[in-house]
Amino acid sequence: MTARDDILNKLRSRGRVPETPPPVWQSRRRFESLAARFAESLPKVKGEVIRVESPDGALETLDTLFNDLGAQRIVANGDLPTLDWAARWPDREWHLVGQSDGDLRAFCAAADVGLSGAEAALAETGSIVVAAGPTKSRLATLLPPVHIALVPESILMPDIFTWTAARRNETPANIAIISGPSKTGDIEQVLAVGVHGPRRFIVILYGE
Amino acid sequence: MSGVTFKQFKFDAHKAIADPVLQGAVDGATRTFRTARAAALADVPDVDELRDHFKAIRSATLSRLADHLETFERQAAAAGAHVHWAQDGAAANRIVVEIARQHGAQMVVKSKSMATEETHLNKALIEAGITPVETDLGEWIIQLAGEPPSHIVGPALHKTRQQVAELFSREVGRPLDPDDIPALTAEARRVLREKFLTADIGISGANLAVAETGSIVLVTNEGNGRLVTSAPPAHIAVVGIEKICPTWDDAAVWLSLLGRSATGQPLSIYTNTITGPARAADLDGPREMHIILMDNGRSGLIGTGYEEVLQCIRCGACLNACPVYQEVGGHSYGNAYSGPIGAVLIPLLFGLESNEALPHASSLCGACLEVCPARIDLPRMLLDLRADEVDQHILSREEHLIESGIAWLLGQRRLFNFLADMGRIFQKPLVDQDRLLAVPPEFNPAGERRLPTLAERSFHDLWNNLREEDDPAAPVYGWLHLAAVVLALLFILRLLKGGKTS
Amino acid sequence: MIDSKRVALKVTCMVDQVMPEVGVATVKLLRRAGYKVEFPVDQTCCGQPFNNSGFRSRAVQLAQRTIEIFEDYAAVVLPGGSCAAMMRKEYPHLLAAWPVWYERAQALAAKTFELSEFLVNQAAWQPQAVPDAPRVTYHDSCHMNRLIGISAEPRALLTAAGCTLVEMDEPGRCCGFGGVFSIRLPEVSNVMTEEKLRRAAATETDLLVASDPGCLMQMRGLVHKTGVRVEHLAIVLEELTR
Repeated sequence: MTARDDILNKLRSRGRVPETPPPVWQSRRRFESLAARFAESLPKVKGEVIRVESPDGALETLDTLFNDLGAQRIVANGDLPTLDWAARWPDREWHLVGQSDGDLRAFCAAADVGLSGAEAALAETGSIVVAAGPTKSRLATLLPPVHIALVPESILMPDIFTWTAARRNETPANIAIISGPSKTGDIEQVLAVGVHGPRRFIVILYGE
Repeated sequence: MSGVTFKQFKFDAHKAIADPVLQGAVDGATRTFRTARAAALADVPDVDELRDHFKAIRSATLSRLADHLETFERQAAAAGAHVHWAQDGAAANRIVVEIARQHGAQMVVKSKSMATEETHLNKALIEAGITPVETDLGEWIIQLAGEPPSHIVGPALHKTRQQVAELFSREVGRPLDPDDIPALTAEARRVLREKFLTADIGISGANLAVAETGSIVLVTNEGNGRLVTSAPPAHIAVVGIEKICPTWDDAAVWLSLLGRSATGQPLSIYTNTITGPARAADLDGPREMHIILMDNGRSGLIGTGYEEVLQCIRCGACLNACPVYQEVGGHSYGNAYSGPIGAVLIPLLFGLESNEALPHASSLCGACLEVCPARIDLPRMLLDLRADEVDQHILSREEHLIESGIAWLLGQRRLFNFLADMGRIFQKPLVDQDRLLAVPPEFNPAGERRLPTLAERSFHDLWNNLREEDDPAAPVYGWLHLAAVVLALLFILRLLKGGKTS
Repeated sequence: MIDSKRVALKVTCMVDQVMPEVGVATVKLLRRAGYKVEFPVDQTCCGQPFNNSGFRSRAVQLAQRTIEIFEDYAAVVLPGGSCAAMMRKEYPHLLAAWPVWYERAQALAAKTFELSEFLVNQAAWQPQAVPDAPRVTYHDSCHMNRLIGISAEPRALLTAAGCTLVEMDEPGRCCGFGGVFSIRLPEVSNVMTEEKLRRAAATETDLLVASDPGCLMQMRGLVHKTGVRVEHLAIVLEELTR
């Protein structure tokens, strides 16, 4: 008998009476403003939120951030608004995932900033949801020391329950719910950021 | 693997109690976790109802576990993952080593996993000539120290910054400042980043496995879970069969309680869900994914009074709440699991007789049940395990005699009262001014703690003055009773001298 | 609500043999609250020690014996939280396999009360505030607090009697007793007690009050290290309401 059959037979031979699972738990969160809650939650875990009124405002914010960070090498995922990124910031080095040639992994490892959009944003916890795909790299939001996400207010939802309820049928190979910069408390419970992932996690939350 | 006998537990507990550095570290860490958990739960509307709901999900899932496992297997395979089954830890290790050999792997990176701690996978890998590198900062610290984890969530919480700096300094070959924790962390980032990028395989556990899509979910704060499952060309996940979660809606409930119960976070920083290997068009991510579904003693608990223990999601809240854990530390439990959940799980998975002390490593205070997100009745199961020890004659014959003798005696009210009255007379030379028993510590079964003496008059006796009506029954003692006195005194003496199983 | 003005006292073994003054204070308090107290003299142990050490059949025998002795009374009051919890929660569980005994256990459980719970919720007794009542801190006994949910009642009585209540850090933290645990693993048990006493001492109150004779005995065995005075709730209340 295979291990599989043995385990399944053992489980089935226990005579356990099947129980009916409870009905689906519905989100009980009601926020007056999803954007306000998002902007309130993320900084509690050392994430940063910059709220702007329009997509143009978001790009202006990026100007400032790139300058402040001295960002030379930027890797950008394909879930961002359509724009000729390299043309707007010609003096910086870009890797556009799925478009640029060259070694993505090596570029990510040496990049100053990872730039991404998001599939969804959860107000309660100040989280964004990023997925993997042909133009969406996992390492782009993971290896650079700074991760900047451009998030339109239209993709905000209350919490993880509303997110799973809205889930589509197709599941990509990887979905990450990111709720702050990489951190650890493993040395004497002292908070240290950027242990493996980005040290800074900046969300530019923009209206449309 | 040796078990945890009374002798062993007492030895390790004594060591932990006598170590002020360890005491301080464990006290501080568990208090931080406790406080954060309480605050995080208080912020959730209807949190008690949510916990009840979660318990119902867990119970219903376990009642049809075989079906859910088959669904998981089917969906994971459809997503392109290879699903393996392991009856025990050794089988799981063999499968991992075999896959690693096929890849010609020299070095593997690991994300913190209790399942692979349970199977001692690192040892198996090293024996096969493969170098495992733990990447969770806490796990890396204890790997460098050559120790097992002392806490489910904070494996190195017993280590001080000085000890960590010493370990890291040795690793990088130059002295590091213990007071600069960001620098220590940066050093770990530097060393481990290179490992992530050059490892042949990434190995993880799973916080949960969602059946409806064949996905595994990994929760970390550091991001090592994402790196281990994204950077190397292949990913192996070792998953206990009880970690199955039927749907994404159920997973949302699970996740919303896990972070809050463990570290007081509404969600951990990275909730990483993996469904098969990278798709053909994806530009990064592992090209191969293996999932090992491991039983290792779990299936035998289904349908028994102990099934509930499989509802555990390894949040560690019971450790943080447990006053015994806080004194004895994680290593006294002789296993990767510790605290109240360890005291129940270890005997159930690895044998009651060899771990006889663990069901007794609790004052049954109930703090663990109070904080458990799934409301697992650990005190009830500790009582059940103690009863099993009696039924299976794991406790000594002497103890059986003493307990039975005293229980019988307590059913004989007059005899008992008479014996107690005798005790009042015989104890006189041993009663000190505080009405405590004056015996040298080496003869005192309570150690440093002083035992009480019998009062000069019992309440039964005092009642005669207190009562408002006459009670016709006055005690009469006969010589038969006197004979029984001698026997019972012998019982009591044995209890005081050697009642402890050792 | 129990209508009868007659209650049976289950004094608990430890009070009977080691601290009978707690039993005397309990009788006096119940009388002050207007109750006639009966004391079934055949009572001994509720069986808890045997239940906790795994000797279930012995616990069952003592549970049955206790039910037989007390089931004819309108109400049973105990000056001990864990014995009350044993009768309320564990008896039905222990006797679940025998339907008739289970019924009898349930019936007894429904009319069994811990002292402070009885005084507050059944007797609606309110002590008069005493002007120079002591500053006290209160230790929650684990089973009383977590199994039968009584933590507000003893506090309400103490403050009503004029005491200033200063809460210690985590008053619900175990004192280290745990019955047979305190003998099997005395070193662990004792450090837990020392931690408890340290936290009580930090309140700088006159008195550490508890409602369970087990906790009382445990903490008294180590008070010589801290100088904290440990007293049963019944004693404190009885003295204040004379």
